[in-house]
Amino acid sequence: MSPAKRTLLSSLRERVRQIERPGSAHGVFSLGFAAIDRALPGGGLARGALHEILGTGSDEEDGALAAAFAALILGRLAEGGSVLWCLASADLYGPGLAAAGLDPSRLLLVEARRDDLVLWAMEEGLRTRGIAAVAGEVKRLDLLGSRRLQLAAERSGIPAFALRRWKSADEAARWRAVPNAAATRWRVGALSSRSEGNEPGVGHPHWRVELLRCRGGVPACWEVEIEDGAGFVSVAQRLANRPLAKEEGFSLARRSAGS
Amino acid sequence: MSLADARALLPGLKTAASEPAEDQKALRQLAEWCVRYSPWTALEGADGVRIEIAGSAHLWGGEEALATDLSKRLGRERIAHRIAVADTIGAAFAAARFAAGDAPLILAPSEIRCALAPLPIEALNLDPAAAEGLRSVGLKRVGDLYAMPRAALARRFGTLVARQLDRALGDLPEPFSPLRETPLRRVRLGFAEPITAPEDLRSAILRLVEDLCGRLEREGMGLRRLDLSFCRLDGRVERIELGTAYPSRDPRHLSRLLAARLEAVDPGPGIEDMILSAFAVEPLAAEQFAFAGPSAAASAPGSSPGQAVAPLLDRLGNRLGLSALYRLEARQSHIPERASARSPLLPTILKDRHSGTARRAGPGNHEHEPSLVGQADVHGFRVRGLAPAPRNDECQKGAPRPIRLFLPPEPIEAAFLLPDDPPFHFIWRRRRHRVRRADGPERIAHEWWEGEGAVLSPSKGGIRDYYRVEDEEGRRFWLYRTERAGAEPPRWFLHGIFP
Repeated sequence: MSPAKRTLLSSLRERVRQIERPGSAHGVFSLGFAAIDRALPGGGLARGALHEILGTGSDEEDGALAAAFAALILGRLAEGGSVLWCLASADLYGPGLAAAGLDPSRLLLVEARRDDLVLWAMEEGLRTRGIAAVAGEVKRLDLLGSRRLQLAAERSGIPAFALRRWKSADEAARWRAVPNAAATRWRVGALSSRSEGNEPGVGHPHWRVELLRCRGGVPACWEVEIEDGAGFVSVAQRLANRPLAKEEGFSLARRSAGS
Repeated sequence: MSLADARALLPGLKTAASEPAEDQKALRQLAEWCVRYSPWTALEGADGVRIEIAGSAHLWGGEEALATDLSKRLGRERIAHRIAVADTIGAAFAAARFAAGDAPLILAPSEIRCALAPLPIEALNLDPAAAEGLRSVGLKRVGDLYAMPRAALARRFGTLVARQLDRALGDLPEPFSPLRETPLRRVRLGFAEPITAPEDLRSAILRLVEDLCGRLEREGMGLRRLDLSFCRLDGRVERIELGTAYPSRDPRHLSRLLAARLEAVDPGPGIEDMILSAFAVEPLAAEQFAFAGPSAAASAPGSSPGQAVAPLLDRLGNRLGLSALYRLEARQSHIPERASARSPLLPTILKDRHSGTARRAGPGNHEHEPSLVGQADVHGFRVRGLAPAPRNDECQKGAPRPIRLFLPPEPIEAAFLLPDDPPFHFIWRRRRHRVRRADGPERIAHEWWEGEGAVLSPSKGGIRDYYRVEDEEGRRFWLYRTERAGAEPPRWFLHGIFP
């Protein structure tokens, strides 16, 4: 093969990759947990993309785990500037965010009563230089709205996170099934504390993190434990290095292709 | 005269109910509309408006031209009126209400004494008892008081009479409290023909903003808070208020922010004046216009969000409301709801100007202090009650804190065995949670320097015992218990959710 053909081939490969995973031009970032990073195309979460985070059970209404998971990710991004977080109800708590690894002083909070205003604020944030990441709590996210956010993220390379939070189980059931254009879809659920020995009391946060959908990747599932005090990130790494962590054993449901 | 007597005299009499509250509202509207003549307008009793025109009469071609213009416009709206211009508030009051004739009356400083002399005592704006007292001793006209020694007058009829007289004659200053906050800079654009089309308004906005920004550029200042008033043909005023996250004098940015709010402005029969007022300006160096790259954004932790995102904040605040944007600020307090405070990112506008700080001590004496709530957020801390917590505060590392905190805490029904035990199950939002694990109690009491009326005042229990519980699903909640007086069972609340 001539060198000219080889460069042509590699540029074509790059173009195909761009088509398959738009927004990857801006690179990826590590979640700080090797097992999860390995499952993601490119070895991390795409920067220029919209990511969706869901809760499970009654937490879909309170959005505590989704917020904590987002804070864990945003904490790694916040060094690049401010994080814009669009809220529907003002119940985020600073000390809790700090414990989850996101410095609250990095956070710009915007309260908007309606979903369309939250999405508008997110899109405005995605177009602004100096914003490191955008998060928004939304009930409704349809194909059109998510597509706009995805495109804005692709253009600027600012990652966007849609935290889904519903008022009731009925509303959750109705809107959960509506398809959207997010690059990945995560679901975080609480698991009972793992007690070492027979210790009483509440243990470290113990979650099941599911990657339900991932463009260019395969769905997977992990069970993680997060030690508080030191923040999520370092402990997640420690867990990853610890043979005790059941990382690969819990990569359930490895289907052949993404949804 | 009673209504029955009046009807007997004139059978076809038309009557209308008196509506003092509506009258007051209409008068206020009129006073606000009068800002087209001067930023300093105020209500005068139940049926008057004061306008301070000391610095603005020349813009209308003198006091007489201004009075004629005002009279013409009031006449067009069929508002019965009498206009008087004088150097003191008291003289203008007396002339407008008690002098003979209909035409606008303009008193030169030297004429005040003569003009006031034949007017009745009431022209001094006295309370009825004082006026009655003066009349009973034969002092019927203002001129009768001129010769009297002030000390005797004050002793006999109270200090008010002497003071009102001195104020009317200009021997004592009279304070003027304007209806609206006094602007620091003001630009006005009048139209020969009233305009209504949005594109006309938009180009007028651009002209006004360019004008104001040009002035600010020469002064090296930037805008933090401004107000655009649209004076309508029918005497109403539409208003757009705006705050910016960072001082700005970029005409394109500012006019875009204003134009985005135009849809809320009802031009009615037409707009004849637009007034752009700046209420807060801050120094803004010329080089800050330069491109703010990522280095400006990635400033040290805890510092301001940086100028790079300021236009974003302005746009968001403009659409969602100035108070919708805030940061969470850590405070030194062990009471959970106080440990994290909302600090607004945009300057919020003072609503009621009567309790505000902008006051003028007298004509020509511009004593005002721009008041800006929440100005400190972008440029550092302002301590409001509680000191900001040091970074990586020890208490943050100690007891775990929830990621979502409910304000106010939500009452729950909880069942427990022993007084200090965590509940074994509780019902929150009609859902039963069986407690599998629990930590606690963590006791949080009110701050010792606070008495009654605090969040955790002794009367409200004063002490909370917090428990961190995990239900059978693995969800973690923050519950607390407050004791009640006597033998009543304690009350339980759910305050937050842990991840």
